[in-house]
Amino acid sequence: MLQIENTLFTIVMLLYFAAMILYFTFIAVKRDGIARIAVILQAAGFALHTVALICRGIGAGRLPLTNQYEFATCFAWGLCLVSLIFVLKFRFPVLGVFAAPVIFLIIGYAAMQSKEVHELMPALRSNWLGFHVSTAIIAYGAFGVSFVLSIIFLLRDRMREKGFLDQHIPNREKLDVISYRSVSLGLLFLTFTIITGAIWAERAWGSYWSWDPKETWSLVTWIIYAIYLHLRIRRGWEGRAAAIFAVVGFICVMFTYIGVNTFLPGVHSYA
Amino acid sequence: MSTGKKIWKFISSMRFAIALLVVLAIACSVGSLVTQGQTYAWYAQRYSERTAALIVALHLDDAFHSWWFLVINAFLCVNLLLCNVLRLPQLVRRSQAEADPQRALQVEGTVSAEGIADPAPAFARLRMPKPVSTATTDGKPALFSSKNRIGLWGAWVCHLGILLLILGFGLGQMTQHQYTVYGVPGQSRPIGDTELVLNIDDFRIGLREDDTVEQYTADITVYNVSGSGESSRSATISVNHPATLYSMKFYQNSTGWAAKAKVTENGEPLQEEIVCAGEHFAIQDKPDLVVALSAFYPDYVMVPGVGPSTATGQLNNPAYLYTVYYQGEFLGMNALMEGEELTIDEYTVTFSDPQSYTLIQIKEDHFTWLALVGGLVTMLGLFLAFYLQPTKVWAIQAEGGTWTVFGQNRKGGALFREQFAKATQDPTGRSASDASD
Ligand code: HEM
Repeated sequence: MLQIENTLFTIVMLLYFAAMILYFTFIAVKRDGIARIAVILQAAGFALHTVALICRGIGAGRLPLTNQYEFATCFAWGLCLVSLIFVLKFRFPVLGVFAAPVIFLIIGYAAMQSKEVHELMPALRSNWLGFHVSTAIIAYGAFGVSFVLSIIFLLRDRMREKGFLDQHIPNREKLDVISYRSVSLGLLFLTFTIITGAIWAERAWGSYWSWDPKETWSLVTWIIYAIYLHLRIRRGWEGRAAAIFAVVGFICVMFTYIGVNTFLPGVHSYA
Repeated sequence: MSTGKKIWKFISSMRFAIALLVVLAIACSVGSLVTQGQTYAWYAQRYSERTAALIVALHLDDAFHSWWFLVINAFLCVNLLLCNVLRLPQLVRRSQAEADPQRALQVEGTVSAEGIADPAPAFARLRMPKPVSTATTDGKPALFSSKNRIGLWGAWVCHLGILLLILGFGLGQMTQHQYTVYGVPGQSRPIGDTELVLNIDDFRIGLREDDTVEQYTADITVYNVSGSGESSRSATISVNHPATLYSMKFYQNSTGWAAKAKVTENGEPLQEEIVCAGEHFAIQDKPDLVVALSAFYPDYVMVPGVGPSTATGQLNNPAYLYTVYYQGEFLGMNALMEGEELTIDEYTVTFSDPQSYTLIQIKEDHFTWLALVGGLVTMLGLFLAFYLQPTKVWAIQAEGGTWTVFGQNRKGGALFREQFAKATQDPTGRSASDASD
């Protein structure tokens, strides 16, 4: 099973790479047909990615959500899922153009991690872990999409030329609403992640919140997105300031995910 | 406006909320970047004397329990409370207005479409509940439908949840008691300053085939020895499966090594102690003489450049690292192998029977439930705010028999306008005129 997963993982990476190149080509040659193929490739990659994760789950005999490799590949999967939904729901292939390199970077990061399957230490053997990490994946995926949308939003303001891109990128107002949708999805799931994590910590360590760096940074992330929501409501502020906070929010997400493990050891550092 | 009123207004404003949230985010990140709970000397060595002085002066060494962290949170609570209290009447009025067709019929709506022959499909396509028939004040037939009115309450419920969460956490922090007890099976230990005594009945380490640990399990009995008579309760606890006894929660937290220490005086048995690694004991006849079991190595090896270490977790070659103090002064330190003796004047110390001890964490927090309720209410509020967007759609019949359809959804913005335009398109292909704002 793990062998199959390994092979599939390589194919998935290639598919994501091909999708990314096609997305870029779509922008370069300005033909809608190419974007359609890119979306299909991305969807095919996503389907195989799902199969690969299932294989790993069967091979390891548990949910594949417990070490840095597993979480990275799931993170890429979550971002791919949410971005596909948004691309299709809002007929917005340019989102794919910007999301594809981020997905590729994250799966590339996964490829650099050790793929060994380890047995779990007792504290990690909890059903809450499953809820905790799977909700985190959706949250991170949604924040990734809002990050991409906000970048597009900020770039759009600087674009002078009217033309191909202009037709393919929704106007400011619509971009803002779509970005709001992805932030709200992310924030709802991040809240779920934090609560299930707290319940689990309470059962495993006897303290539901202990200001461990990873906990603290997920709270910082959560606060940043709360600020985003309030900035959006204030009239005249919506748009730019909120978009900047959505970008900062995703930087916090990445720091919580990678930086904390690297620089600030705590209970979560066994991941 | 008077200054007092201005301050009041500011404290309950959203601008203040945003400022507080920014400050809170900065405070949290600083608290996580500065290693917490170290001494002045530690910071001085890590950074510089000056930085260390600053860290200690600003309580950055214990940021999350500092007075300024408390102040930020207190302000946030006041802000949230005021904001929710002040907005309550307005929200009640708004949610009543949302349900009232007559109110809707008098306004324009954020979007509208004219010349619709049959409005029913538009209601259906916008997934609105079946419209009610009514009439405008000047007698024109009208249809009205509204949904997700409860969504108006999303932000309010979310704010309430956060308030409860902070309150539950804060009260818990102020009133909770935590104790740790460790020992080997058969030992009884008092639980802090309570009237409870914990007896460790058994402790097991479950191993997998590859020798990794699957589970730590302890059987415990707690005796209540308060004046009103004795009682006891037992439970089995393991990692992730705590138990509650006498309103305290018992957690199997971790484990380590313990050994039996035997002391003889001139060959005569003097005392026997169970010592956990890290613990020390005084010689009975000579309390100034203290022996510590500083560390235990189940499979002792001496690694050049590293020092004493253990090759595996198995009891293949046990070694005991001891330290001796006399009147608080360090006398010596060395490793003893199984069977070897340590002799100090007329006393001889031997270590034997290594076994695992269990460390049990005990906690009493009567407000955990409040924090949990707060968290769940926050989730509910977010769900209401994001996924139940209040929407109204209504239609008024014009003189000629055709209808004008109106719609309103505050949050949907551009997306709602698109949906509305699509839903009100004539099925014959002719697009209805879109009189959106
Ligand atoms: C940790 C703190 C806070 C969080 C997580 C939070 C969260 C939220 C959320 C999720 C919304 C709904 C946003 C939307 O529907 O797009 C919201 C709206 C709002 N918040 Fe907060 N909030 C916080 C603090 C505050 C405070 C202290 C105030 C005090 C003034 C405040 C004032 C408002 C207002 C006026 C709205 C708009 C309500 C509406 O549209 O019906 N918030 N907040």
